[in-house]
Amino acid sequence: MKKLFYIILFSTIPLALQANQPKDWQLGFQEAASESMRDIISFHNNLLLPIIIGISVFVLFLLVYACIRFRASRNPNPSKRTHNVTVEVLWTLIPCLILIVMAVPSFKILYKQDTIPKADLTIKAIGYQWYWGYEYPDENIIFESYMIEEKDLKENQPRLLAVDNEVVVPVNKVIKVLITANDVLHAWALPSFGVKRDAVPGRINETWFKAEKIGTYYGQCSELCGIKHAFMPITVRVVSQEDYDIWLSDAKIKFAKDPTKIKVRKIASK
Amino acid sequence: MSSEKKHDYHLVDPSPWPIYTSFSCLVLAIGSVYYFHYDISFGMYLGLALVIYGAYMWFRDVVIEAEHQGHHTPVVQIHHRYGMTLFIASEVMFFVAWFWAYFDASLFPNEFMGNQWPPKDIETFDPWDIPLINTLVLLLSGTTVTWAHHALLEDDRKGFIQGLSLTVFLGFCFTLLQAYEYHHATFNYSGHIYGAVFYMATGFHGFHVIVGTIFLAVCLWRGKLGHFNKDHHFGFEAAAWYWHFVDVVWLFLFAAIYIWGS
Amino acid sequence: MYSQTTTHDHHTPSGWKRWAYSTNHKDIGTMYLIFAIIAGVIGTAFSVLMRMELMHPGDGILGGNYHLYNVLVTGHGLIMIFFMVMPAMIGGFGNWFVPIMIGAPDMAFPRMNNISFWLLPASLILLIMSIFADGPPGQTGVGGGWTIYPPLSSKAGQPGPAMDLAILSLHLAGASSILGAVNFITTILNMRTPGMTLHKMPLFAWSILVTAFLLLLSLPVLAGAITMLLTDRNFGTAFFEAQTGGDPVLFQHLFWFFGHPEVYILILPGFGMISHIVSTFSKKPVFGYLGMAYAMVAIGVVGFVVWAHHMYTVGLSTDTKAYFLAATMIIAVPTGIKIFSWIATMWGGSISFKTPMVWALGFIFLFTVGGVTGVVLANAGVDTAMHDTYYVVAHFHYVLSLGAVFAICVNALCFDKKKSKFVLNKKKVKNLIKGYEKIRKISIKEKNSLNILCRGAAMRYFMTRLYDYSNTPKTALIKIKDPREYYQKLLVHNNLRTYKDYLN
Repeated sequence: MKKLFYIILFSTIPLALQANQPKDWQLGFQEAASESMRDIISFHNNLLLPIIIGISVFVLFLLVYACIRFRASRNPNPSKRTHNVTVEVLWTLIPCLILIVMAVPSFKILYKQDTIPKADLTIKAIGYQWYWGYEYPDENIIFESYMIEEKDLKENQPRLLAVDNEVVVPVNKVIKVLITANDVLHAWALPSFGVKRDAVPGRINETWFKAEKIGTYYGQCSELCGIKHAFMPITVRVVSQEDYDIWLSDAKIKFAKDPTKIKVRKIASK
Repeated sequence: MSSEKKHDYHLVDPSPWPIYTSFSCLVLAIGSVYYFHYDISFGMYLGLALVIYGAYMWFRDVVIEAEHQGHHTPVVQIHHRYGMTLFIASEVMFFVAWFWAYFDASLFPNEFMGNQWPPKDIETFDPWDIPLINTLVLLLSGTTVTWAHHALLEDDRKGFIQGLSLTVFLGFCFTLLQAYEYHHATFNYSGHIYGAVFYMATGFHGFHVIVGTIFLAVCLWRGKLGHFNKDHHFGFEAAAWYWHFVDVVWLFLFAAIYIWGS
Repeated sequence: MYSQTTTHDHHTPSGWKRWAYSTNHKDIGTMYLIFAIIAGVIGTAFSVLMRMELMHPGDGILGGNYHLYNVLVTGHGLIMIFFMVMPAMIGGFGNWFVPIMIGAPDMAFPRMNNISFWLLPASLILLIMSIFADGPPGQTGVGGGWTIYPPLSSKAGQPGPAMDLAILSLHLAGASSILGAVNFITTILNMRTPGMTLHKMPLFAWSILVTAFLLLLSLPVLAGAITMLLTDRNFGTAFFEAQTGGDPVLFQHLFWFFGHPEVYILILPGFGMISHIVSTFSKKPVFGYLGMAYAMVAIGVVGFVVWAHHMYTVGLSTDTKAYFLAATMIIAVPTGIKIFSWIATMWGGSISFKTPMVWALGFIFLFTVGGVTGVVLANAGVDTAMHDTYYVVAHFHYVLSLGAVFAICVNALCFDKKKSKFVLNKKKVKNLIKGYEKIRKISIKEKNSLNILCRGAAMRYFMTRLYDYSNTPKTALIKIKDPREYYQKLLVHNNLRTYKDYLN
């Protein structure tokens, strides 16, 4: 009972109280941190879920009613009716209508999700067995992102989700993510942003997000990629533009892809 | 035999060949894995021999039931027609997979192929050379097998044997020409997508040609033994259907891979 | 063989030869059922091991062998699909009931029927061998998921012979199913008793007919795909190798072109069985017979053009996704027709709640839940969030574990060998009820799958196939010293215990 209570309690807690990773006893989606995810959540919670619950409850009701009303002891003489054109037409047409009601917003969300606005920043995510490599192609930055082992975890770092080198992006900017893989299939997923794309060797997939809140967001590899599939998380730290600039200037040196280029830039900036 | 039966169906007697063939397949599979990984080919050849022996004994039983025991009543023959049609349907779907792979590569060439089809640095065959001859050979064999069929329907056994012999010969020629072509290819099956789709699609077709040729040759041999008559010759008809199927697959290969793909 | 039999009519050998050499549809059906039970036990054991592992964030019982976990996931999927549900439904009940229902003395090709069966043990042996053969460097077994996507299943991902054994196992299982499909179609189309038109044929026979067509047309494509994989691995062809111009996504297309019809193959015979049960125990003919039959045909046909809804995140173009979204949703219509027709069959009937009927009621409702969650997943936009999470796992376990397996249970309960009809054999049922009630109390399928859906709901973003997952290290968990104690705990606390731990 206690557990049930918890479930009910936590399912009714406003989503805003939850953070950017899965929580104990959580039901439902993680908190949205981008418009695409808000779309998904509102479409699912406000339209799909009520409809499917409605249908399930309706079917359950019919079953229970039939079981009670037409049980052998109460209704010993069964009818022989096997056709009723009206109901047959109805139960064909009404589902069609319900599907149309679902499909219209669904197409809208799909096309909105897949239309990439003009990007402010492009990141390249490359899946390896079993870590992620990131590139900021316009900033001459490249680094690798490994999961932090349990024994090395610091305070507030979630187990199995925290990484050593996080992806850092500015808040409220359109970030385009190019996703590919170097060995086997992986998938780059960030629940709070409503993002998930497979990383396929030989192909570059595109997706995007625009984080609306400062914070650290966690995701996991979402395509079985071998032995340590569970241990290659994705961490994105969303910061203000100023913090991002500070990080960027550090990162350009720390993670320089082509060291010769740093010097040129430095001289130029002087 | 059928004095107690109240129907025309053929209730086959218990047979050791299904279980024997199944476990021969198991030997073949394990043997193949040993061949792939440890270069020990003994198990594979053993398995292959066992499977072939099982198939031989099984078909032998079928022929005996058909020719000597009179089990193949008209309704049973209809079963065989359905069975063969459905088998060919599944074969068609098997080739769908290979064409799918071919069109996936050729319609969406990637950077490795130089964004073009045929891929850069691949020298394709001239379709109007050996492939054309092959096409004509197969089409001709399609007509000769029909000749044999009509001869059989007219009870003209000599014509049947002649037509069928010619068909088997043409099938053999096709295989030889194909082997010659493979031998002179400038690309390999490994290491390049073009070689992969080309050799596996045409190769599986070639394999089916060989199987079809054997099938027809068996019919020829049976014909020479005096099997088949004008009302009861489904074994031959099945071989002819199969041959036409192989023929049609070739036309698609010729059109898609040889002509369009070069 | 012929020489012995010229003097006997339908000579039946005794002892082991009766079974090994069988050409009798009932004997072969029985062998299929026994085989399915054995495979079902193995598959369940795999599932139990996975669940025991997942009960304990950190290392549970697999001792940090991450690859073994993947092997269990892969084996569970393949065994349950190819060696449990398909043999039980199509091979077992199909063989038993179809000839009897259509008034045929046996199957059209009795000897081929036997090889359809015997290829399966051979295939299962190969799969079991693969578990012990070398997989990725330093590990044994195939850990690529039942979908065996390359490049993880290519030479680069798992160079050892395990994957080759698994591929050849699928080849044999596929050949078995194709031959079985040819047999069933021929039998059903040609051997019906005079006067039984297709439109008068029992719904179970209809369901097997549709299933057989799906098998016949989808399995060869899988055979092609895994042959490509085999040659990629061993002969250096480049179908799925990106470095040499191949395309890993091609495999997914080919696989799901087979895989989607396959999931209907698993559930359609269940539809047929449930129709019979509901009608029998409501003492009413099936409502809307033709609608029921053609709903199955429609599901089968549309099932061939929806495959890429399994691939919404691989990077398909938006228009492609939109098409597959729409096509997938359409399947809800014939499925809805079936569910409402079952209820309408009960409506006005005189329902007796014998155990099979109770299972059938469970099927109808739980299958509905599986169906509506499927409609949610059809929405490509929402699937971005759901893809590869436990929501999907829960969805298809509702359909398969609570649908297909329930249907098998229903049928097993009604299985009267002598009458061979869908009627109740009281004595047998009495014994079986005891057993099933026990099972139900432990309730491996029901509540566990509810568990999964709750988990799915709780952790929409919780990825599947993860060995380890929780934020909480293993401190708070029960310590087990004695395995017997573990087993006890598993039985007693299974549901809530795991439930809490999953959410931890």
